[in-house]
Amino acid sequence: MKQLLEIGLLVGGWSLVALCVGSFWIPKVLKWREKLAGLTPLMRELWWTYSIYVLSSHVFFAVLALGFGDWLMSGSRAALAMCTFMLLWWSVRLWLQFFGFDFDEIEDTTANRLAKGLLTMLFLGLVSLYAGLVCWNVGRIGVAEV
Amino acid sequence: MNIQQMEMVFRGAGLVLTGLVVANFFAAKRWRYAENLETVEPIVRQVFNVHCAYIVAIMAGLAMLCLGWPELLLEGRMSRVLCGFFGLFWGSRVVVQLTYYDSEMRRRNRGWDLFFLAVFLGLAVVFTLGSFV
Repeated sequence: MKQLLEIGLLVGGWSLVALCVGSFWIPKVLKWREKLAGLTPLMRELWWTYSIYVLSSHVFFAVLALGFGDWLMSGSRAALAMCTFMLLWWSVRLWLQFFGFDFDEIEDTTANRLAKGLLTMLFLGLVSLYAGLVCWNVGRIGVAEV
Repeated sequence: MNIQQMEMVFRGAGLVLTGLVVANFFAAKRWRYAENLETVEPIVRQVFNVHCAYIVAIMAGLAMLCLGWPELLLEGRMSRVLCGFFGLFWGSRVVVQLTYYDSEMRRRNRGWDLFFLAVFLGLAVVFTLGSFV
């Protein structure tokens, strides 16, 4: 199980890197610049600020998965807290993918369908990974080295 | 600064973060997020709300950590990385406030502008300090 989680962290970490890189195309694909033109300057500024902070959080999660996998599997209370936080983070994002966002206005192209499918798979994978890590850290599966 | 003092400082930061979480709800009303977002497409509104909620979730999570388990922020290499990340997080927020937000809007709300600058700067100092303890 330890080896499976380590592979999961590696795959999850690099998937997050891909998500972070891909995020630079999202504003263009979804035409944010034009769509935000009608907002007041403050709302536009808040929009971009929030977006960049969410992106920076994803970068941090990627750094954790790729550089601090041992720590995430250490069985410590801090590791459990962090894994639980990331499990909640991605669970909510997965829920939003199915029930929160209104994708009707997004152009129905093969590329957009593929991107949506890949994102859904990524969120599912991350939820499974962090659920596994939470179980590992509480000792439900395998034995964490404290 | 010793560990006990640093824990107290983190608890103080936790209170400030709790205040920031609460302030976000007032900001939504004060800046009329809902009315302002009425004119844009639903997906734009939804993305804004989601990003806003996730930022508040980060602050609430960090506030809980600081208030309930400050010692976790002082244990080992990883806690230093976490503190370093939040040092950057809040430090960059100061830069955003100074260089990106509308200067006219800031001038009209100078009191709040200075107050939040001090808060963000304080949090940046606390977490940067935490990364070196």
